[in-house]
Amino acid sequence: MARLSIICIGLILFVTVWSSSLNIEGSSKRVLVLLDNLAIRETHSFYFKQLRDREFDLTYKSSDDSNLQLVKYGEYIYDHIILFAPGTKEFGGRLDAEILTQFVDAGGNVLVAGSHIIGDAIREFAGECGIEFADDKNAVIDHLNYDVNDNGQHTLIIASPDNLLASELITGEAKKVGLPFLFRGIGMSSDSENSLLLDVLTGSSSSYTANPDEKTLTEYPTTVGKRTLLVSVLQARNNARVGFVGSLDFFSNDFFQSPIQSNDGKKSAKSGNEELAIALTDWVFKQRGVLRARNIRHYLKQDKTTPSFYTIKNDLVFNVQFDEFVHGKWMPFNGTDVQLEFVRIDPFVRTTMKNNGGQLEAQFRVPDTYGIYKFIIDYNRIGYTHLFSATQVSVHPLRHTEYERFITSAYPYYISSFSMMVGAFLLSFIVLYHRDEMPKTKVE
Amino acid sequence: MAAQVTTNQSIINDDSGSLTTDSEFQTNVNSKKRLSSSSNILPTSSILSPTGLTSLISFIVLTCAYISGFMSRLFSVIRFESIIHEFDPWFNYRSTAYMTENGFYNFLNWFDELAWYPLGRIVGGTIYPGLMVTSGVIHWFLHMINIPIHIREICVFLAPFFSGLTALATYLLTKELWSRRAGLFAAAFIAIAPGYSSRSVAGSYDNEGIAIFALMFTYFLWIRSVKTGSVFWSCCTALSYFYMVSAWGGYVFIINLIPVHVFILLVLRRYSLRLYVSYSIFYILGLILSMQIPFVGFQPVRTSEHMLAAGVFALLQAYAFIDYLYTKLPRADDLKQLFFGLMIFIGLSVFAVVVILTYAGYIAPWSGRFYSLWDTNYAKIHIPIIASVSEHQPTTWTSFFFDLHLLICLFPVGAWFCIKELNDERVFIVLYAVFASYFAGVMIRLMLTLTPCVCVLAAIALSKTLDYYADTETSDMSTSPVVPSNDNDENENETEKNNRNLYDKAGKPKPIPGRRGPTNTNQDTDDDTSIVSSNIKTVVVICIAMMLMLLAVHCTWVTSNAYSSPSIVLASYNNDGSRYIIDDFREAYYWLRKNTPERARVMSWWDYGYQIAGMGNRTVLVDNNTWNNSHIALVGKAMSSNESEAYKIMTMLDVDYVLVIFGGMIGYSGDDINKFLWMVRIAEGEHPKDIREQDYFTENGEFRVDRSGSPILLNCLMYKLCYYRFGELQTDFRSPPGFDRTRHVEIGNKNFDLQHVEEAYTTEHWIVRIYKVKKLANRLQAKNALRQVQRRKSIYSTSKKTSGQARKQGVILNKPQVKKGTKVLTRKT
Repeated sequence: MARLSIICIGLILFVTVWSSSLNIEGSSKRVLVLLDNLAIRETHSFYFKQLRDREFDLTYKSSDDSNLQLVKYGEYIYDHIILFAPGTKEFGGRLDAEILTQFVDAGGNVLVAGSHIIGDAIREFAGECGIEFADDKNAVIDHLNYDVNDNGQHTLIIASPDNLLASELITGEAKKVGLPFLFRGIGMSSDSENSLLLDVLTGSSSSYTANPDEKTLTEYPTTVGKRTLLVSVLQARNNARVGFVGSLDFFSNDFFQSPIQSNDGKKSAKSGNEELAIALTDWVFKQRGVLRARNIRHYLKQDKTTPSFYTIKNDLVFNVQFDEFVHGKWMPFNGTDVQLEFVRIDPFVRTTMKNNGGQLEAQFRVPDTYGIYKFIIDYNRIGYTHLFSATQVSVHPLRHTEYERFITSAYPYYISSFSMMVGAFLLSFIVLYHRDEMPKTKVE
Repeated sequence: MAAQVTTNQSIINDDSGSLTTDSEFQTNVNSKKRLSSSSNILPTSSILSPTGLTSLISFIVLTCAYISGFMSRLFSVIRFESIIHEFDPWFNYRSTAYMTENGFYNFLNWFDELAWYPLGRIVGGTIYPGLMVTSGVIHWFLHMINIPIHIREICVFLAPFFSGLTALATYLLTKELWSRRAGLFAAAFIAIAPGYSSRSVAGSYDNEGIAIFALMFTYFLWIRSVKTGSVFWSCCTALSYFYMVSAWGGYVFIINLIPVHVFILLVLRRYSLRLYVSYSIFYILGLILSMQIPFVGFQPVRTSEHMLAAGVFALLQAYAFIDYLYTKLPRADDLKQLFFGLMIFIGLSVFAVVVILTYAGYIAPWSGRFYSLWDTNYAKIHIPIIASVSEHQPTTWTSFFFDLHLLICLFPVGAWFCIKELNDERVFIVLYAVFASYFAGVMIRLMLTLTPCVCVLAAIALSKTLDYYADTETSDMSTSPVVPSNDNDENENETEKNNRNLYDKAGKPKPIPGRRGPTNTNQDTDDDTSIVSSNIKTVVVICIAMMLMLLAVHCTWVTSNAYSSPSIVLASYNNDGSRYIIDDFREAYYWLRKNTPERARVMSWWDYGYQIAGMGNRTVLVDNNTWNNSHIALVGKAMSSNESEAYKIMTMLDVDYVLVIFGGMIGYSGDDINKFLWMVRIAEGEHPKDIREQDYFTENGEFRVDRSGSPILLNCLMYKLCYYRFGELQTDFRSPPGFDRTRHVEIGNKNFDLQHVEEAYTTEHWIVRIYKVKKLANRLQAKNALRQVQRRKSIYSTSKKTSGQARKQGVILNKPQVKKGTKVLTRKT
């Protein structure tokens, strides 16, 4: 029984559970930026400046640098990686796609940009994450939505904000502002059954991915229509985030600032690229949409104590504190759709928890079925980290002393037994002290 | 009288004399015992009454029976160690340990969280607590007198201890039924009969161990109370019955057999006031007492199994009342037929009431287990989980001989003698014999209830036979040849010596009571025996003695070889005869205990549930208390589905580890593949859409694991877990890799990977294999892309391998040729 007193032991999977050496809650911001060539630093300087303004600590490296390493003395020395090196066929130093995936599995976040030149290392890493880049030299082509500055191949396309994912956490204001996006690069595809991926931005229905240098399409395009992913993100089961953008130019100063004039004459003064790029980076590097649960408590409603086990039909209260990471600080979470389940194979109780300034609370009565139950909070919303918490408790039947006494329906039996006792007493009294022939015969 | 005593002394003198003269090889203990007994008797011979001598001899024989009963069950402790055996005993031991630690009331309310995850199990309400309480009381008592013994030792030695008591109870019963001499025989038989020792060797800490004692003692008290008609004895019967109810579910046998006895006595017109008193008191007290056991609860008034007792009780009351009227009414003889008709009517109406109540739903109909006693195919069709247990299989005729040897031959003779000289109590033993032999034929497990009855009746038969042939009145010499005959054999092993003494002494006292208190039967026999010449008598007695010797040898051999294996530790013999211990089970359970999280949930077939909880201290999904068929079926479904289907079930049930027993490596036949069809059948019973037994057979209807086996079988979870990486293993130079030694085939599906589980531990001989259930993958890979990339990767992989972790330059497509390239060169130089 003493062991049972540690009831909270169960499985409590916080968002931090996977990261042994990584602090992924946003407080540390060491970013490794890998570049094809260091000139990108200059051509994309607006983007990097924005990151530096957000207090990211950027380290620029060429992707073929022979000194590349992520791990030093068994610890990861970066928290996030920006992979602006689409042409990397093979990384330098101690880095390859496998180490990158290990980095993700350890909770690190990666932002990957592709281009029409795409190297095997990037493709392999994307493949590990469930994203399939089109072949090298392919590009997204849209003959109906392209910018006037296009070189005639219709690869500088305009992506409509209508095809943007409607999640402010991931895309920020980009959807609301409604500016179109300039895109020049490669398309991606993914398995539609892969529930971990989110299609942030897709091409229009007239877009496809093919080699623009080939005049005729010899084979079916790699991606077609809305299945052409321009921007896609992965939130792994350990809540590590990986962003894939098909176009490296998407982040460039040119695209951030250039006005847009589409082939059919629509104009806008500025592209939405900057808004989306920054929002996406914030999300991928876990500056937004991060939740944590703490202070899980459950106790009897009656006397506010936590017993080592519950008994059937107890009234209990379940408490948990939810925090959201907003602007570099942990703030109380305001969502009101968090549900609590009380599960023994199937959920016996499912209630929506009341939110009191981040303090979520649920009250319910333990079902009249004994067993080993779990309090399960499974909060999985687009844009937020997946929050799963399971706390195991056991529900016992009544003790032998806890049953109801003197129930009314038993009174006939009480009466009968007591009358029997009285009768037996009287009878024995008569038998013993009444002198007659009757008892004699009875004895024999 | 005096002459008789002296002859007896002379026998003893002869005995001791022969011992001292030609017993250079005689063991000291024995001769001492003999000498001391003879020296005790010699000086007081003139004072000693025959009764005293008989008592002394009875006492010695019973002591020897007790000791030999105890000793012959210790083979397992000597061969292996003091360890709890098999499956159920592990739970009994675990709950006993819990009770001694936490007290009785906590035990009664114990909610076992390690069993039946996530349903849990209320232990107090689902067991017969008699066993635990008994050892708890012994433990408490020993500690009170400052003997600090561990509860495990008590549990291990409880069954042998109680088997000694069973011998005493059997003696008492037989004495009531026949004579004291037969009683001594019966005590000696039951002490060593393999049919009983199979369930009561040291370490087999199960309900049956104490229940057979309770059974025999209850029967003895019942016979005693029927004989005397005393309230005291019937109260004792009820109390003993209560102990039996608290100890074993087999109490149903008592509560049906005793009413049948009463009913038959009524039919035989042997009704008496004694019967009325004893049964009425026994039934009412027994009913109230039995309802105090939480597991039994209201069953005695609500189920069909107990209705016979209630019906007979009602009938007996009516009979007594009519009988009373009969004696009171003047000229009742004229109305004899009316009374008879009235009786029949009452009997039928009682029967009708029970039937009506059953149909109305007040009384639960017969349970499935009971049906399977009448229809041996019932369980196979409707309750595969009962049929899957090996001890629920029908008995083969060989096992009758194996378990009872000579006794099974004497058994009908004894029954015939009882029928021939019928009285109230002998009706009982005959009924017992009839029912027990039927049940023993249906289920091998119920051999246990037959054994005491066989011992009693065989003892009666033997005693009656020896009454003819070993009578000293006609020839004193007839007994003396018996005595040296055992001297010749005494240089055998020790347990046999004990047995030998028993037969010797059980035979010896015969002359004395035979002469002293001649009963009717004995006078008859005296007349008969005079016909037979003394030489023939001698020959017959020698033959009987030889047969008894063979019996003792057989019993010892069977107990030591067949029934003394703990089954969690296996032993095999090398070519040079040395013993090789295979201790894989404990190895695996110890690994579980030390290397898995405390709350880890282990999925295995239900056979191993108690052991995992007891030895591994980990939560199990199903165990040997097979109360929830659908939960077991779920586990069976997981085992017989393919990996991804199984993974769904395992996630639903929060399984962390899967444990399978695999015997193909060393040829252990009790493994999970051999049990696998039962898993399929049980799963099919609950999930007929997903699992079909037919899919697991080949087209010819065979169950094969080799190349021709059905593909569903070769890809189910159980197959994969058992044979994972077995294809890489060559057990023998003469056989191909992946050769299963249990089924003697080369397995059909060799090189496969496990997707959702990973191997965690495999024991030395591969008997136990434990797998860890993997979490869902952190990422999902894009299948097409990966295939392409991996093909390409192989181009570089060679260069990577050679360079290893050394600093290497990366490769970038279309890299602008900046003159920085010199930097690389400098680094390389």
